[in-house]
Amino acid sequence: MPTTADEAGQHISKSTDLIQGTLEMLILKTLALEPMHGYGVALRIEQISNGVFRVNPGSLLPALSRMERAGRVKSEWRATENNRRAKYYLLTANGRKALTTETERWQRQILAISRILEA
Amino acid sequence: MIWITKLTIGLKSLFQKQRVERELDEELESYVEASAAHKQIDGMTAEAAHRAAMVEMGSRNAVKHQVWSSRWESTLEGLLQDTRVSMRMLAKSPAFAAIALLSLALGIGGNTAIFTLINQVMLRNLPVQHPEQLVTFGDAENSGIAGGIDIGAYGLFPWYFARQLQADPGPFQGIASYGSFANEASVRLPSPDGVAASNAPAILVRTSLVSGNYFSVLGAQPFMGRAISPFDDATPGSGAVVVISHHLWQQSLSSDPAILGKTIRINGTPFDVIGVMPEAFHGIKRELEPPDMWAPMAMQTIVMKHPSLLLPAGGANGTYFLNVFGRLSVQASTNKSSLAQTQTWLDNQIRTGLRALEGAKLSPAREREINRVTEPLIPATHGVSSVRSQYGDSLQILMGVVVLVLLIACANLANFLLARSATRHRDIATRLALGSSRARIIRQGLIETFLLSLVGGLLGLAVAFAATRSLIAFVSQGNAYIAMSPNPDASVLLFTLGVSLLTGLLFGLAPAIISSRIGASGNLSAGSRTAQSSGGKSARLWPKALVTAQVMLSLLLLVGAGLFLRTLRNLVTQDYGFERSHLLLTEFNASLAGYKPSQTPGLQQQLLERLSALPGVRSVALAATPPISGGNWSSDITIPGYTPAPKESMNSKLNRVSGQYFETVGIKIVAGRAINDSDTANRQKVAVINQAIAKRFFPKGDAVGRSLSIDIDDVKGPWQIVGIARDTKAGDPRSSAPLRMTYIPLAQIDAFNPVDPSAQATTSPAAPEENQDRVANLILLRTTGDPANTIADLRAMVTSIDPNLPLTKITTIRDQVDDFISHDQLLSTLTTLFAVLALLLAAIGLYGVMSYNVVRRTNEIGIRIALGAQTPAVQWMILSESLVLLAIGVGLGLPLTLLTTTYIKGQLFGLSALDPVTFGVALLVVSAMTLLAAWLPARRATKVDPMVALRCD
Repeated sequence: MPTTADEAGQHISKSTDLIQGTLEMLILKTLALEPMHGYGVALRIEQISNGVFRVNPGSLLPALSRMERAGRVKSEWRATENNRRAKYYLLTANGRKALTTETERWQRQILAISRILEA
Repeated sequence: MIWITKLTIGLKSLFQKQRVERELDEELESYVEASAAHKQIDGMTAEAAHRAAMVEMGSRNAVKHQVWSSRWESTLEGLLQDTRVSMRMLAKSPAFAAIALLSLALGIGGNTAIFTLINQVMLRNLPVQHPEQLVTFGDAENSGIAGGIDIGAYGLFPWYFARQLQADPGPFQGIASYGSFANEASVRLPSPDGVAASNAPAILVRTSLVSGNYFSVLGAQPFMGRAISPFDDATPGSGAVVVISHHLWQQSLSSDPAILGKTIRINGTPFDVIGVMPEAFHGIKRELEPPDMWAPMAMQTIVMKHPSLLLPAGGANGTYFLNVFGRLSVQASTNKSSLAQTQTWLDNQIRTGLRALEGAKLSPAREREINRVTEPLIPATHGVSSVRSQYGDSLQILMGVVVLVLLIACANLANFLLARSATRHRDIATRLALGSSRARIIRQGLIETFLLSLVGGLLGLAVAFAATRSLIAFVSQGNAYIAMSPNPDASVLLFTLGVSLLTGLLFGLAPAIISSRIGASGNLSAGSRTAQSSGGKSARLWPKALVTAQVMLSLLLLVGAGLFLRTLRNLVTQDYGFERSHLLLTEFNASLAGYKPSQTPGLQQQLLERLSALPGVRSVALAATPPISGGNWSSDITIPGYTPAPKESMNSKLNRVSGQYFETVGIKIVAGRAINDSDTANRQKVAVINQAIAKRFFPKGDAVGRSLSIDIDDVKGPWQIVGIARDTKAGDPRSSAPLRMTYIPLAQIDAFNPVDPSAQATTSPAAPEENQDRVANLILLRTTGDPANTIADLRAMVTSIDPNLPLTKITTIRDQVDDFISHDQLLSTLTTLFAVLALLLAAIGLYGVMSYNVVRRTNEIGIRIALGAQTPAVQWMILSESLVLLAIGVGLGLPLTLLTTTYIKGQLFGLSALDPVTFGVALLVVSAMTLLAAWLPARRATKVDPMVALRCD
């Protein structure tokens, strides 16, 4: 149900709350570099944000599942570097397009917000 | 296309939930592993790293649930889950489910049944192109052959005039005509080799005469072959072709695919079959017994076995037998002023036609009268239907009645659900506490009610099918094949579905919302009984409001049923002027057996003599029409010495009868003598008139001995009045003004038409023309016992006289009278049935609410009794509660009923819409019902043992 998904999105991080709707964009950006499994995505987001954003599986996996249904990512089972099986997520053409538009929209918003703050 | 992929993926994961679950487990496992591995690299021990990873993950099931909920199929799964729960809940209380389903099946079934009929009788369009453009000229429900009327009066037109309109339709797209009645023709069907064998058994087939452009103006396409065209109908006597109905083709010709071009014999003359109409097509006139064949008007003399009615303007008086309809232009069917222009054009045509008939001798008064003549254009989108005008109002009232019944059933179910949701407080509070959302609880409640209402609807369809079948059997009055069917079509199914859903919403929404309002806190700890009594004001108000509404609606239905019942009683018990028992009526058709009118006297004599010798037969008579009939043989009469006032109607209904007619039918002679066997052809011509004529034209009581003549040439008279008969209800039993009746002896009607000197010059017939008014169509038998017992003897005797003589319809006088009050019978029977059903439902509802109240107040009652309250006081406490509801229900119901009954005033007979007896009885019944339903729980309340009551929480 959508309510539970939203509730999940709110306890993404103990340190900083992720702004609503940005999680998908971050996942898309992360996957744009290379295909990754779930934990890899969480780790990458945490590392690049210098530990500001910590994404737990309770919000990451539903988001990935949603994005897979929307056709932005696809998944396949692959062997990991430790020779384990893991589900890897790949960006689709559709996802790449979504990343561009979401990034543009995000930047417009950032610009607008900073203008307001600087005024 | 994306949604299709989504749908398939979703459904796949739903059906392979285990596989999806496994995959999720595996993914989570690998997630934890990867996390632990990473933490180990950071320097944790393997065990600590694993534990940290597990902690980070949190509840694995919660994560899985969140993933699952992010997909659409989870909603579907939830629905399925709720449905399963609902079914379990219903199975746990089978008594409730059974009562709910039964009342829903009856309520929805009643609605569907009545709607099926309304749909067929009133809503269904003619199966032709653009039926909304069709209009009939005047009321096309009248049928017959008339004379002495204006063009278009009673919706009847002569052939030459219809033909003129057909040739020049003015602003219409086309104007066509058809014989106003379909008559039965004797038909021999082709044997398999394609030739109509003249010795094959004949069947009677209703045949409609149509103008050549009938099918093209109607916009009806044949199922196979071709329809009748103008060239088939070019000149009278030509065009021996016939189009047959799908029904005839299927039933009597075993759907012969090679029927086209074969020959069938109609009244002995071969006709080529040129087309078969589609199954839904029955012509523009939608009769109970639809025609099975259509033949060109040009073949009228053969199809009708009647002298030509297709006469030019001069000789056409007495041949007004066509109904005419037109197809409006596109503008006129959408635009009012264009329609008005079309109307003006038609009126002008008719006025011109009338003036041409009158010739030079046009008086100013007549001129003014002609200028006022107008022939209303009546929309024929649904066809012309006497069934609609006979039963339409009744069906509408019945629709209202069944809706009320369904509302009462809804109120009951809502009450049950409310009571049940009260007992489920703990259950719901637990679910809320465990984190279920209110929406989910409402949803589950609604699913349960929809489950009930949909299954109820399904059962209702079955109920409706059975009910519609018996209703149609009732309406058809014993006709074997009628154009109505109990099979639900798409619109009926849609209606039932809609009603079911609406019903579910109606009785389910309020209980579902109320039950979800229960707070999660507090109720868990409290005892169940205290929890129930603390349900809040609204929870206690609702059941009472619903019961009050039920009392209100029951009162309304009871009053309606009472009014209709008393109407029927008044109609049945009123004085008809003739005996309504022990009389058997048999229609026969001598012309189909080959008798010419001049040959019938012998046959008539034989019938009278042989039939009166039958055991159990008191007397026998022959006549043209039954003592009560919708048919009409009537004419203006002339009384020497009486000058009619301007515009005074001199019309009288006529009947030609054998001796002993009055004795057989039981009509009393109040002065003079009856017609008897001594009034033979060569004696003085005599007539009997009824009191209505005597009073109007011979107010001094000197009628006997005077004379009158009839304005129909072949029975002109003069006839000497020898007796006055009592007034009878010869037509509509509701009409209060007695119809005028003139009886003349069959035996004194000349077998040949008088020779008209002017006609002789033009046609010069070799033999004198047969007088069609010399024949009798009806045998009347007064029996000593049950008339039905005489039918077999009658048939055998008629066969022994002439095996070819067809008896077309055998009824008792009771059936004949019932034909006229059938819609009253339908209304009163069904409203009574539904009112009783409604009363029963309301009683169950009231009983339920009252007993629930007693259970709820067991504690309180126990305390009261322990404190010394006496039994009557306790009983009164409970009873008074229901009396208040009764008072409110009646107080609101009475004005509502008074308001509603004014709408059914037109259906009542012999009593006012405010009939005090009916209202009194209805009030009494409702009160008795309320008291009975409340008395049982009240008695139970006094039996409460205070010790048990106080201990039980």
